[in-house]
Amino acid sequence: MTTAPRFRAVQLLLYGGVGLWSAFVLMPIAWMVFAAFKTRREIFTDPLGMPQTWTFDSFERAWGVGLGQFMFNSIVVTTGAVFIIILVSGLAAYAIARSTSMWMKLLYLLIVAGFAVPNTAVIVPLYQMVTAANFSNSLFGIIWVYAAYGIPFTTILFFSFFLDFPRELEEAARLDGCRPWAVFFRVVMPLSGPAIASAAIFQAVFIWNEFLLALLLLTQPDRKTLPVGILQLQGEFTSDWPAVMAGLSIATMPIILIFLLLQRSFVRSLAGLGK
Amino acid sequence: MKPTPILKPRQSVGVQIVQNQSVLVLPALLICTVFIFIPAFLTIFGSFYAFGLTSQNWEPVGFGNYVRAWNDDVFWIALRNNIIIVLGSIVLQVGIGTVLAAVLDRGISFGQTFFRVIIFMPMVISAVAVALIWLIILDPNIGILNAIVKSVGLSPPKLGWLGDPSISIWMVLVVAAWQYTGFMMVLILAGLQAIPNHLYEAAALDGARGFRAFWSITLPSLRNVLVVAILITTIGGFKVFDLIFVLTNGGPANATQVLGTYIYLQAFTLTNMGYANAVAVVLLAIAVFLGWLQLKVSRRS
Amino acid sequence: MKPIIGMLALAPTIVLCASVASAQEIKIWTLVQEGMPEFMEGTISTFEAANPGVTVVNESFPNEAYKTQIQVALTGSAPPDVFFNWAGEDAARLVRDGLAADISAYGASGYAKTVGEGWLSSFAFDGANYGVPTDAVSKYFYYDPAFFSDNDLSVPETFDEFLATCQAIRTIDSSIVPWPLGNSERWKLNHVITMLNQRVLGLDALAADYALTAPDDELFTNPGYVEAWQKVVDMQDAGCFQDAPNATSPEASRSMFAAQVSPMIYCGTWCGNIFQAEGYEDFEMFRFPALTDGAGDPGGQFLVPQGYMVSSKSEHPELAAAFISHIVSDEGARDFAEQIGGIVSNPALIDEVDGTRWFKFFVSDIATATESVNVIDVLLDASVANAYLDAGVEILNGTMTPEDAMTTIREAALAAKSG
Repeated sequence: MTTAPRFRAVQLLLYGGVGLWSAFVLMPIAWMVFAAFKTRREIFTDPLGMPQTWTFDSFERAWGVGLGQFMFNSIVVTTGAVFIIILVSGLAAYAIARSTSMWMKLLYLLIVAGFAVPNTAVIVPLYQMVTAANFSNSLFGIIWVYAAYGIPFTTILFFSFFLDFPRELEEAARLDGCRPWAVFFRVVMPLSGPAIASAAIFQAVFIWNEFLLALLLLTQPDRKTLPVGILQLQGEFTSDWPAVMAGLSIATMPIILIFLLLQRSFVRSLAGLGK
Repeated sequence: MKPTPILKPRQSVGVQIVQNQSVLVLPALLICTVFIFIPAFLTIFGSFYAFGLTSQNWEPVGFGNYVRAWNDDVFWIALRNNIIIVLGSIVLQVGIGTVLAAVLDRGISFGQTFFRVIIFMPMVISAVAVALIWLIILDPNIGILNAIVKSVGLSPPKLGWLGDPSISIWMVLVVAAWQYTGFMMVLILAGLQAIPNHLYEAAALDGARGFRAFWSITLPSLRNVLVVAILITTIGGFKVFDLIFVLTNGGPANATQVLGTYIYLQAFTLTNMGYANAVAVVLLAIAVFLGWLQLKVSRRS
Repeated sequence: MKPIIGMLALAPTIVLCASVASAQEIKIWTLVQEGMPEFMEGTISTFEAANPGVTVVNESFPNEAYKTQIQVALTGSAPPDVFFNWAGEDAARLVRDGLAADISAYGASGYAKTVGEGWLSSFAFDGANYGVPTDAVSKYFYYDPAFFSDNDLSVPETFDEFLATCQAIRTIDSSIVPWPLGNSERWKLNHVITMLNQRVLGLDALAADYALTAPDDELFTNPGYVEAWQKVVDMQDAGCFQDAPNATSPEASRSMFAAQVSPMIYCGTWCGNIFQAEGYEDFEMFRFPALTDGAGDPGGQFLVPQGYMVSSKSEHPELAAAFISHIVSDEGARDFAEQIGGIVSNPALIDEVDGTRWFKFFVSDIATATESVNVIDVLLDASVANAYLDAGVEILNGTMTPEDAMTTIREAALAAKSG
């Protein structure tokens, strides 16, 4: 009998704690959206208040600097790189997982070694090579660089997945007359849906948000991806903070919405890093 | 690698399915070689030369760049700041993340998904956007943090949250915690949910409930997950670039300089590319060691 | 080493096929700037009409990334034929590294007819022209004349009067920031110390230190450098700046002036249009105050010439030079002044320009300047400039004394000189 009120008090305390952190997380995002609706003067004179009128003027101004183009570029780069990563890592991991040769094990270790190399540490030669190859300001070019930095981790993921993959299915497909390539593309890949989805979401989040390489390699306004594009908002609007905030809202809301819709897959995919 | 005791005929099927296996590994190997291994090799190679962005010839300097780093105060400040960020992030992100995960797992009965979604959300936003939002929140003239602090009767720091060299690095930690604590929480939550319920039931019979159960059951079972979480945070703390580049660009006067921003400054602003490579080799060595550790730990678990 | 990188770079190029430029095409790199797209579109179409079969491709880049970008592009295999640059150390290094073309031969029939010797000297090295300045940017104090007259303040002409003005404004209302300094990107104070160095020491005394040609034991040892930093401290002590200049962005500081929250700001000639866009245009301007006991010419004025250079790898240097001549022709310069609002190097048709009130003031006032002062971070070696930028931040934060500042700057200069 005595534990019930104490239990309720503890629950309340726990809810309070989690609620506090959630509020801390939500506040900047909410403030960003509200600030976008304010006037320049309101931001300056009444930073904590609510906007007086709800107009989309600042969103129109922000859209005008080419956010659509940045978003398009981000989509192209992300889908291109993720596609290459999945395909190339899938092939490599499958071949290694189905091989008994020592050489293949060595190749696997070599690819895995790339997992530890951060692009910050190799940025000088990487930058020189890409620019020397005339790949700067080329979306096609940066896709390959992004792919390279996604392949090692994805190969590790797929490798452990394929090790557990039921070989009976492959055998059955072969007995049905499937050629080796067909086995991979028609049987193995389609049945690897969850692993592919996990890897794809994981890589997409990182590539969508990648900044350093995009900053150095994509300098032309019409080639920029979102993270680099939004950086010029402040320069573009000098002190038009509502427009800056509107631009940031436009840039972040799609990814937040996608996350809310697919949150279960997102969480599973990113938590997979801990495995 | 897992030992896979399989029957002989099956094994031969696996080999036959992929007849010329090394061909399939080739694309991955080629892409990684061109964009990861060769640059890594060139970083080490280039660290023994002095050259700029536009110089046509490389001047060999032996270990000169490393000697220079040894004597360079800013290099040590940057390394120290990386370590501060690593330790601070372990305390804030892994610490708070563990508490939040424990509360969501067993502490509260409704709304777990709701809170998990909210707290995880900043993880999907780009660090650049996060930094830009916080930059305005922390602004000494129009920022809401100043307004909030003033409204409760306190005075905000005179030099500004990001302008005061003794405060700015802590603000970087707060913003990083804002973004990544949810990630740690989710990681640890996955570990918590794998703890079998009967352990708690057994403990409850022994009279261990609530916080005591947390200490005696939850934390020990979480050991592996926590090690991985700490490693991921450590690696992230050494690789940090975007957040600081936008928030402070290493300032005020190098107070928030980290290895990543210092490499960028030396290479692309001051065009000392050989020296930047030497600093990069230090980062590379740390990252490779930690990455190796992470793979080892996660394979064991 | 270079060949290795080149070969590595070649491999993907062969596989993936890079595009090949057509024979009669020249590529120009410009800066993202208000009015620049319109100006370039117009000038390119008149140039293409006058030169049938020639195509000019314009690519524009934002300010921040440009310095790095252009250097890398010039060392690469497909650099632009014509590119924007600031006059100063960066331009000089490009010349030293053999990346910029000597275009003296094309001057007589082109740009030299319309741009004066003094202007051309900003891109001249060892008697040869490596570029042509189109215009220059300058800085002035903008002030709020209504505030000044309401409070019986007069425009300060000397540095001491300026300090007194700051104090007077603080006496009127201590919460008013006389001069908001947005130093979060470090260059705002750098422009101030540029002027103070000139005012205290004079350009002649600065030259050998800035160029790192002074003997090691004299490099940046002139006590005038410490005195110049002390003037910054004096201004801070007089209450000129707000509390957190290092955390204030240039944008925020401009907003404070445009919103008439603050009565003064030291801002570029481009700022007038920004204030106007923010709804304030009743401002007036005055020059950086003179120092009564300084060695520098009080008529010296902040001036950064900027213009276009030609890549040494250009396949059509003559065409490239002709395009630059086209930009600085009488009509070109007129359109440039009208559409971009620059202080143009060819003022022949300036009277035809329908400019703003402040534009006309700048053009006529700069004509009376007796000396032009180029900015430290353009003029100095990058590492010394960086030391200057950092020292400014530390002085404002009170974490360095003027003496400390010059010690670190001297160290950086010695290192840059020997390296």
